Amino acid sequence: MHGVLLEVENLRMHFPIYGGILRRRIGSVRAVDGVSLAVSGGETLGLVGESGCGKTTLGRCLLKLYTPTSGTVRFDGQDVLKLGKGALRRLRRQMQMIFQDPFESLDARFTVGDILQEPFDIHAIGTADERRQRVANLLARVGLDPAGMTRFPHEFSGGQRQRIGIARAIALAPRLIICDEPVSALDVSIQAQIINLLLDLQKEMGLTYVFIAHDLSVVKHVADRIAVMYLGKIVEMADAESLYRSPCHPYTHALIAAIPVPDPAQRRKRVLLSGDVASPIHPPDGCTFHPRCPFAAARCRIERPELRPAPGTRDGHHLQACLRAAEIRLPALHWLKRQNGR
Amino acid sequence: MRLSPLTIKKIRRFKSIKRGYWSLIIFALMVTLSLGAELLVNRRALIVHYQGRYYFPVYGRMLPGKTFGLDYNYETNYRKLAKVFASRHAGDWVLMPVVPYGPYENDLKPNRYPPFAPSFADRHFLGTDTIGRDVLARLVYGFRIAVFFSLALLAANFLIGVSIGSAMGFWGGKFDLFFQRIIEIWSNVPFLYVIIIISSIVVPNFFMLVVIMALFGWISITWTIRTMAYKEKAREYVLAARAMGASDLRIIFRHIIPNTVAIIVTFAPFAVSSGIISLTSLDYLGFGLPPPTPSWGELLQQGWANLDAWWIVASVIVAMVITLLTVTFIGEAVREAYDPRMHTTYE
Repeated sequence: MHGVLLEVENLRMHFPIYGGILRRRIGSVRAVDGVSLAVSGGETLGLVGESGCGKTTLGRCLLKLYTPTSGTVRFDGQDVLKLGKGALRRLRRQMQMIFQDPFESLDARFTVGDILQEPFDIHAIGTADERRQRVANLLARVGLDPAGMTRFPHEFSGGQRQRIGIARAIALAPRLIICDEPVSALDVSIQAQIINLLLDLQKEMGLTYVFIAHDLSVVKHVADRIAVMYLGKIVEMADAESLYRSPCHPYTHALIAAIPVPDPAQRRKRVLLSGDVASPIHPPDGCTFHPRCPFAAARCRIERPELRPAPGTRDGHHLQACLRAAEIRLPALHWLKRQNGR
Repeated sequence: MRLSPLTIKKIRRFKSIKRGYWSLIIFALMVTLSLGAELLVNRRALIVHYQGRYYFPVYGRMLPGKTFGLDYNYETNYRKLAKVFASRHAGDWVLMPVVPYGPYENDLKPNRYPPFAPSFADRHFLGTDTIGRDVLARLVYGFRIAVFFSLALLAANFLIGVSIGSAMGFWGGKFDLFFQRIIEIWSNVPFLYVIIIISSIVVPNFFMLVVIMALFGWISITWTIRTMAYKEKAREYVLAARAMGASDLRIIFRHIIPNTVAIIVTFAPFAVSSGIISLTSLDYLGFGLPPPTPSWGELLQQGWANLDAWWIVASVIVAMVITLLTVTFIGEAVREAYDPRMHTTYE
């Protein structure tokens, strides 16, 4: 493995809420509330969680598309958040993003050729002919006909549009790509193709991915390590194998138990969480998961958990944020043993 | 530049609204004819054949009477010249435009006072106004001035609106707040009084009037573009452009403003119609373009004061109705082409 490429320390993104007669700041939406992680070069970090847990916001903060309230993001040693405009633009060549909605993220008034040429235009790379050639190469690389350059996004299907989005992201040969739910808007058969494309590109170009998703079965195929987020905090982070085999945090356990199994003969034990996700404006005290946790105890309401190594491990390979991890025994998820891991 | 299939679809939708499509054809015809107004309505002849040579007096310099053998040095009266040549039978001829009168000349007749009724013999097809100027000539040249005025006003408003509106919408913050307050205050200033005051101090020429009207008209389009800019700024493709490192100006000019084209195109015909109305109203009150500039408002004012010379009022009213109807139909059709089934209903 290569060295650490991306390092995030205590990132917080609080969106202000204004209200009252004088439009003062009366509160904040704590979208990201103290996230620390590290991604090594060449690996894929999966970032999972429910809708609204802050994963998309985190992804955008990593690229400084939102300016975080506090914390640091270090890319290759450089503090991304402190860079000036010129340096930031140069850095943007190395960090790119694939967006969730393949239609919204492409400007409907541009032809596909123009959309893919824009990164080269912005950074003034090559002559006009060279740029056109590169666009044709990009289209071929993602499995589309280069003649599609003159067509408009709405003339393509959803999966093809996502391929165009991927082509745009790899145009500048970045080192890190943040994939913000790239397959959530596609149907299952296309999802597999896109994921295979992403994996091929990773091998070929030596890319590092931060793969944001809410679908654990998708992340299983893609990620080397997985971080599970809840209400703006990471509650568990481990390599994929360990996470699926022995999750420590009750939330992770419930998520994994909820993965549908395409075999009607297998009966799975349902782990149902009570209640709804709390609001990020008023997160609960102590462990933010305690209102829904089946193992909640008195101290869970008071103490705020930190990410600590899982019981039984020493180094930082498997981190979790449950206060009672050593005491509780999560029911084994037998059926997962039958399935092929990565 | 390849037209997007969306644009082609919109054009086809526009064409399918017959009322708007024909209005566009009629209006385009009117504007084109008014561009060549000098060839249709002019006191100067189109071609003069004199002693074997051809003269084309329309667009050139003034040809004095001596050029054609007459005994005066001021501009030739081509109508009289035609009569003189005809009586001489020397092979010389004069070809006059359809309406052989200019908008500035007073055609006075002995023992009669203008306004003269329409007469085909005199080629005053719509009669003359109270000082003997041909009404049709005044209408045609007045239309040209009104249309140019509206287009110039639209361009000025658009330029201001785009620059300030997109800046307000895109950067927001204090700049936006500041300009919002300015717009609120400025839109409460009574526009008519200010124009009256300015016009009494300094008689405005064409460009000054455009500037004055733009000073008051920039607000509505600025507000519209500001709203569009706010809306577009939140779209994901703008975020994608920022992720690639696009500069703010690039995002505004290449992403946001082209997406406001729909609003501008639906705005434009109504702006043209309101420009024509504003100019006519100002001229009616006497505070617009200075006399003797041909203008419908001035004609209307004369006509109102001389209702027994019904041809003046009637001509202006018919002309205004036709113009404004065609422009309004065009505007409605454009709006329908962009947003079908959301506004008016068509059979």
